[in-house]
Amino acid sequence: MKKLIIIPAFNEESNIEKTVSAIQKNAQGFDYVIINDCSVDHTRQICEEQGYNIVNLPINLGIGGAVQTGYKYALENGYDVAVQVDGDGQHDPEFLTTMAEHLMNNGLDMVIGSRFIEKEGFQSSALRRIGIVFFSRLIYVLTGKKITDPTSGLRMIGRNAMALFAADYPRDYPEPESVVAVLRRGMKVEEIPVIMKEREGGVSSISMKKSVYYMIKVTLAILIERIRKY
Amino acid sequence: MNLKFQIIVAAIILVALCVIINMIRAKRLELRYALAWLIVGVGTLILDFFPSMMNWLAYKLGIASPVNMLFFFGFCFSLIIIFVLTIAVSRMSIRIKELAQQLALHEKRSQKE
Repeated sequence: MKKLIIIPAFNEESNIEKTVSAIQKNAQGFDYVIINDCSVDHTRQICEEQGYNIVNLPINLGIGGAVQTGYKYALENGYDVAVQVDGDGQHDPEFLTTMAEHLMNNGLDMVIGSRFIEKEGFQSSALRRIGIVFFSRLIYVLTGKKITDPTSGLRMIGRNAMALFAADYPRDYPEPESVVAVLRRGMKVEEIPVIMKEREGGVSSISMKKSVYYMIKVTLAILIERIRKY
Repeated sequence: MNLKFQIIVAAIILVALCVIINMIRAKRLELRYALAWLIVGVGTLILDFFPSMMNWLAYKLGIASPVNMLFFFGFCFSLIIIFVLTIAVSRMSIRIKELAQQLALHEKRSQKE
């Protein structure tokens, strides 16, 4: 079984080496690909010097466009499973094997690593948790499926969801919306508990100023996703 | 509306039409996007030559003042054009994203070989 880790990287020169060595050490059996989203720092140079497997986007596409590139790469190269691991060191590669087993053993299309099942590790700020609970409830009302951590970036998917995401993936803040897209197509999604760390460097893509846009955009996107026809 | 103003308006429209046509000729503007502007230009020119048409139309539509009708139509037209442009921008940004991804993956493939 071929398993791929997608590492979207935008200006991650301070983290990328740590991320890749953590993967090489803790995620045996996984290949990885770094999607360099046209970084303006030395991310590309570092990766090329180290001989990392890297795909360089010619223009900055944002997180959604970068991750989608990874899904296209996975589909093209015949991977059975793909998972996104952020380049900022928040996601612990140790959970990947567990997630892959869970996905294969239960015939799932998507496994989400949730911070809120066992409530261990970095729990995000109070304000963000309010937003996360809101999306969680909204998804429950619209799809009948309880997702405790819909904003989790640690999500592993199989071939079906991969084909879906390669064809159509939200450009920014894709997580909650794409979970709904998967659920709406009748695919199977489950969560397993993970522990996330506080980010070790770089800045979150969601600043205070953007959080209003985030809430409105993601809410609308989820609602629209619900009324789409398949 | 007196003759002097009619001539000024006609001159402005004619210059604008010339600029648009010249830009199409120089391929700086695509005909399909410029078509709406050409039609509006010609329509305004006709109304400028025959102002009585405006009075007649406003009367038929039940709008008290022909000037109000003009403003209203102008506003509606602007909104339509802006909306059409928003559609065009959305489509283009999707295509550009697609192109960038294909290019990156293609580059990757050719490196391997």
